[in-house]
Amino acid sequence: MALDFTFTEEQEFFRQTIRDTVNRMIMPRVKELDEKEEFPWDLWREFAALGYLGLRHEEKYGGMGTDTITQMIFYEELARGSCGFFMSVTMQILMGTYFIGRFGNEEIKQRILVPAIKGEKIGTICFTEDQSGSDLAGTRTLATKVDGGWRINGRKQWITNGPIADFATVMATVDPKLGLKGLNFFLVERKTKDRDGFVSGQRLHKLGSRCSVTGELVFDNVFIPDENFLGEEIGKGVQYAGEILNEVRVMTGMSALAIAKEAMEDARQYANNRIAFGNPISKYQLIREKFAKFWAWYEAARTFLYKCAWMIQNNIPCTNECMLAKYHATEMCMYAVEEAMRIYGGNAFCTEYPVQRYWRDAKFLLYGGGTHEVLCDYLGRVYCKG
Amino acid sequence: MEIFVLVKQVPDPEATVKIKTDTELEIENKYFTNFFDEIAIEAALRLKEKFGGKVTVLTADPKRVDALRRGISMGADEAIQISDPALEGSDPFAIARVLAAYLKDRSFDLILAGRQAMDDDSGIVGIALAEALNLPHVHSIIGLEVDISRKEAKVIREVENGKEHLTCPLPALFTCQKGLNTPRIPLVMNVMKAMKAQIKKLDLVSLGIEPSKVGSPSIQAKVIRYLSPPKRPPVKMIKEEFPDNVRTLVRLLREDAKVI
Amino acid sequence: MANEIWVLAEHQDGKVKGITFELLSGGVEFSKKTGQKVVALLLGSGLEEATKGLLPFADKIYLLDHPLLSPYTSDAYESALLPLLKEHQPSIFLGGATSIGKDLFPRLAMRLETGYAPDCTELSVDEEGRLTVKRPLFGGKVFAEMVFSEARPQMATVRNHTFLIHENLGKSAEVLSIPIQLDPSSMKKKVIQVEKSSGERVDITEADIVVAAGRGIKGPEHFKIIEELANVLNASVGTTRAVVDEGWRDLKDQIGKSGKNISARLYMAFGISGAIHHVLGIGTCKTIVAVDTDPNALIFNYADYGIVGDLFQIVPALTEELKKVLASEG
Repeated sequence: MALDFTFTEEQEFFRQTIRDTVNRMIMPRVKELDEKEEFPWDLWREFAALGYLGLRHEEKYGGMGTDTITQMIFYEELARGSCGFFMSVTMQILMGTYFIGRFGNEEIKQRILVPAIKGEKIGTICFTEDQSGSDLAGTRTLATKVDGGWRINGRKQWITNGPIADFATVMATVDPKLGLKGLNFFLVERKTKDRDGFVSGQRLHKLGSRCSVTGELVFDNVFIPDENFLGEEIGKGVQYAGEILNEVRVMTGMSALAIAKEAMEDARQYANNRIAFGNPISKYQLIREKFAKFWAWYEAARTFLYKCAWMIQNNIPCTNECMLAKYHATEMCMYAVEEAMRIYGGNAFCTEYPVQRYWRDAKFLLYGGGTHEVLCDYLGRVYCKG
Repeated sequence: MEIFVLVKQVPDPEATVKIKTDTELEIENKYFTNFFDEIAIEAALRLKEKFGGKVTVLTADPKRVDALRRGISMGADEAIQISDPALEGSDPFAIARVLAAYLKDRSFDLILAGRQAMDDDSGIVGIALAEALNLPHVHSIIGLEVDISRKEAKVIREVENGKEHLTCPLPALFTCQKGLNTPRIPLVMNVMKAMKAQIKKLDLVSLGIEPSKVGSPSIQAKVIRYLSPPKRPPVKMIKEEFPDNVRTLVRLLREDAKVI
Repeated sequence: MANEIWVLAEHQDGKVKGITFELLSGGVEFSKKTGQKVVALLLGSGLEEATKGLLPFADKIYLLDHPLLSPYTSDAYESALLPLLKEHQPSIFLGGATSIGKDLFPRLAMRLETGYAPDCTELSVDEEGRLTVKRPLFGGKVFAEMVFSEARPQMATVRNHTFLIHENLGKSAEVLSIPIQLDPSSMKKKVIQVEKSSGERVDITEADIVVAAGRGIKGPEHFKIIEELANVLNASVGTTRAVVDEGWRDLKDQIGKSGKNISARLYMAFGISGAIHHVLGIGTCKTIVAVDTDPNALIFNYADYGIVGDLFQIVPALTEELKKVLASEG
């Protein structure tokens, strides 16, 4: 008997523990984190001390080596709190350290991965550039082979943790004419007096996820040694990107679930207590419809996302499914945060109420892991091919 | 030090509790480890960190073991569940008898519990257990220091309008109150450990306690009916402008409610 | 078996506590139905003044005077009371839901194997003296009605202000000194210090009137206006978890699920939104007044009287108005 839609008792226990941890450590501070627009170092260190940054990595480097579903439960619960903190943490847990863990040599793992898992060194990943986001082939950051290593030249944009990053996994092309086949990943560290590396460029001020500091990284003819090439061979960059993107998309979907849920729970409380024309507004059909639609959509999104997590865990190819699930969950979230604002009426416009923060935070979901327009174009094409 | 901590899973304060029939409640499936029990676990762990030894978490809930896992995730060493269908319908005294049956043959320095469980709010199990084991107890402690060489504890107990400082020889049982400590947030390493933890399960036969001592037949004060809380009439909002509203309020409190 | 209603008397510095007068008044009400005698149990050392205070409220006073009974420890009280309870097996034995009652009664009930209902908010008897009680569960979301088996005594601890004090019961109690032997070596616990809270106010669980402020007070220094109001009303000052967590007020003032349940005759909430864990702590207050700037604040769902307004404006005006009105009555 195959189909089993339940979590194990242990997974439920894990979820409860993360939920409680988020409630205690993060929830009391979400408003402050959003307003200050500063990286919360004290919270980061407290959180790192609990050990969660090692969720995906091997025990020998200080990690926990958990399975995909457990990781997704973690993301779903973490995203309930501060979206910005979620972004910085997940960057550290997943994108920022994935390639190091997979392709770095022992020296690099000891020097970089071990302190990263402790939260002592901050990592990030660099895809986006001024002129290219979803269009990976448009990458112009150049990696030129030199004696004993490579020289990296270019600028990367929208880098989560960028302004505070100690190291970065950089996607660069060895030759723009090769298109996707030219893409590869390299480890570049921050420039110090002893070592060449990147420097911070402009800091971005964002609409949401504001405590996650985002900015530009500049690579000015940076020299990196051969061992900083992250991969088995040249030209497999896109393939590796595809492999990590499945997880990234499901993770993004998890945050869509969490933001949507928080927004609508908030809206529900409001609707049950706000009196208009003699009744709580939750008694009116047009309001009720919003909740019903959200609920149906949310349940479907959640089931689909966990199915994708299960597929990843069981090594079942699921590139399309992960794209679809991310797209689906994000559109659901867009609906939820919009409707939550509408339910609040005029009060939505007031920053004292949290509902506007969910709306602002949610917007990044539309392009994290690929814009919906690009995803739909791709998925539609795949579907039509038969 | 050898410490036992009594723990229980209770409905989250946000969980809805509805009266299904006169004698049945429908409780929303949102449970968490009793708030005061976590304080007890934390107190035990701090003593273990100071003096070495072992912390065992113990529950007599046949259905839920998450409180035990919570204890392990915080750092407890062992988890024990007393589980038996005969426990159905037990009141706090019956639970105390069951726990006493297990603990009477164990050697320990200290038993810690929460001051009350947030479901029945009775605050009985810990104290009744102390009686059954002939142990001294202190209820609702907000301060705890152990002098292990003198086998004695110094505790602070909360009373109306103040605090009492007491000494109490060990072994003893203390129930813990908010303010004693702030329970730690579990490290993920210990959370993983808790997920895989082996929970020792014991039934009544293995404890040598007769079924007549537990469950519905054993209870001396019985719930015959559940009732909704007494309903207040809807609020009278005083709509006048200031300062008339203040005058009206005072008038209503004197003449209407007659409380001033 | 003594067909009597026993009440454990509580006293401090010679003065009998309000809860004891409430329970004795309640016992006398019951006795009108059952014909039982009402007995006060007075334990301690140097009990002359307390005894005098009890005379008009009971048919009998059992006086247990021994140095080891002061200050209260559960060891000493248990050793003193158990033989009496075993011997007489009174029909009903009541105590306050206080730091003494809640501490002692579970031990007694366990040892005597009789029924015990803690923290009762409503009690009644039938002609045979069978006790029925109501008590809150889940913080007050649901109440349970409980009855007792044949075992005696039927024990209960009772919340403050559940019974009203009747001044003129027409009683003059017979005082019986009970000789007690207490073995000092079996008194395991020792009270080494009793620390009284600063300030003159009664504990919020015992106070007749409680005024409280929540987050809306915006800072510890502003509690001054609440204190002034409390002075005029001879009230105690409470607060919410949010304020205690900020460190503005002490934990002992916290009303709510993880704090204290209060059962005041009048409770006034200023700048308190009415989160569930707070309102569960005020459920048994007789009259509740709420003042908040937010017309949608949940607290208004639990209040008897409400004003949408700024506490910084309302509270001082209320203090002034009360001063005027109370002065005019002389």
